[in-house]
Amino acid sequence: MMKKVAINKRALQISLYVLFAVLPFIAIFVSLFIGNYHLTGKEVFDILFHPNDVTINQYVVVWHLRLPRAIAAAMVGAALSVSGAAYQGVFRNPLVNSGMLGVSNGAGFGACFAIILLGGGVLTYFTSFAFAVLAVTLAWLAGRVYGHTTTTSLILGGVVISALFSALISIMKFVADPYSQLPAITFWFMGSFASINYTHFWAFIPMGVGMILIFISRWQINVLSMGDREAKALGVNVKLFKLLIIGGATLATASAVCISGTIGWVGLVVPHIGRMIVGNNNKKLIPISAAIGASFMVIVDIIARSVTTSELPVGIITAIIGTPFFIYLLKKTKGKQWNDG
Amino acid sequence: MMDNVIEISSLYFSYGNKEVLKNLSLSIPRGKIVCLMGQNGSGKTTLIDAIMGLNPIKQGNIIINGKEIKTLKTMDIAKQIAYVPQLHNIRFPYTVKEIVMMGRTAYMGLFGGPKKKDEEIAMESLERVGIVEYADRPYSQLSGGEIKLVLLARALGQSTDIIIMDEPTAHLDLKNELIFLEMVSKIVVEEQKTVLIATHSPEHAFYFERLQTNVEAALVKDGEIYKIGAPSEVITKESIKEVFDVDADIITTLTEDGIEEKTLCLRKTTNEKE
Repeated sequence: MMKKVAINKRALQISLYVLFAVLPFIAIFVSLFIGNYHLTGKEVFDILFHPNDVTINQYVVVWHLRLPRAIAAAMVGAALSVSGAAYQGVFRNPLVNSGMLGVSNGAGFGACFAIILLGGGVLTYFTSFAFAVLAVTLAWLAGRVYGHTTTTSLILGGVVISALFSALISIMKFVADPYSQLPAITFWFMGSFASINYTHFWAFIPMGVGMILIFISRWQINVLSMGDREAKALGVNVKLFKLLIIGGATLATASAVCISGTIGWVGLVVPHIGRMIVGNNNKKLIPISAAIGASFMVIVDIIARSVTTSELPVGIITAIIGTPFFIYLLKKTKGKQWNDG
Repeated sequence: MMDNVIEISSLYFSYGNKEVLKNLSLSIPRGKIVCLMGQNGSGKTTLIDAIMGLNPIKQGNIIINGKEIKTLKTMDIAKQIAYVPQLHNIRFPYTVKEIVMMGRTAYMGLFGGPKKKDEEIAMESLERVGIVEYADRPYSQLSGGEIKLVLLARALGQSTDIIIMDEPTAHLDLKNELIFLEMVSKIVVEEQKTVLIATHSPEHAFYFERLQTNVEAALVKDGEIYKIGAPSEVITKESIKEVFDVDADIITTLTEDGIEEKTLCLRKTTNEKE
């Protein structure tokens, strides 16, 4: 009897993982069918499987607009969620997100810098990526001033550097042209996949490298969340793994933010949705966060580009549909394992 | 040469200008419990950190199972020494089994996670400390005594010769304290592990002595080992006054079986200062 229960539990677990593994692909596939340019289901199938029989417009809409956009949304969602989960573990703090250590504000300043001084365009991606990485490096250095990089000093370094870049962003907004540059900056901060095409896929390389670094270190994230002293006593090379995990999360977040703009909420809350489903073991949490983040972001982007005739910024929708969903899950699981002890 | 698992010779350590350990030497043979006692700030924790390789050694030497600690990597030290921490503030409610499996990390290679075998060893360790039924419970729901047993199981799963405990029974009620001490004694007797316990309670040393466990008390004063030996010989009225700066009496009673039992009875703080 016990044995049978155990087998059923195992089977249930496996099917849950399979479901989450295919979920992002289902979301991407579905996104090909939805959008303002009207296409019937049959037309989309024709475009996908008989591309020679369709008009050039139809072909472009599905293959060059909807598909790259959905893939990018999935990658960005996964990158932000995985980085958020990794930061939460390493910093031993369930309230931090992928934007801590100054990545978001650094990237934001880089974007402003390009929009105002370099005329925007492609350069925006590179400056925002560069300043995001710079901001984290500065936060790391600021944390070191204290002596050795303890977790608290590193978080403080992140807070200070974030504030600095936030001030720099304000200066940029202050000097920006209020009719052309200021709206561009504002929209950048709300996040969007509207301009994504295949040329942006270069960003998947640093994003992928960052996520792989976190993925291979995911058991060590558990151990690091016990604190430096215990992690060392348990045999983990704390310096090396902090560098790998924080470096990986920075790479992933910076390259995500530089193509999509800042998208809040996901990096904080998706890991918690993951925790409610599989528990806190990062061995499972990191992959599940990637899958949930990817699927969630694709769905958000579908809504962003189809709910009204003009596009809504994704950053708005993540919070609007994410929050009630999160509260529902919290109620359902009663956040049962958390205590304030 | 005796079978000393820990061999410390003329160890010095200082934080900045403050000298914490001075010419400290200590040898601990296999299968022994050493109760490390001393005032707050006497250097106990610094010594423990040095043995675990957390403090870089500038002068002196620590040899663990024949190897200099300086030459060992973090991972190799973790295969020799397990650690049961004092305060344990976990932010994420991992399951008990997950916590215990973390004790296996040193055996998982640089990257990688627990294998089937690590899970089996974790369950076995939980069984040894008698809380296997808690395996799937969230750690955050356990009581203080249960948490200490989980940490002890984690240390056992780490399969080391040496276990270091930092005030393991602080915050425990009497029964849980006793459960924990019984478990420690059992481990040392059955598995010939060497246990170093930093404790504030002389009763711990007396307790182990009563059980006829192989135990020594080491009194630390101003970064040196002031005295080391059998608890009933080392923990005396004089040494307590010298090391802890308090007046106390050691009361000896005879049990029904004619065994001498010692208890510490505190009198008052010593005010005279040289």
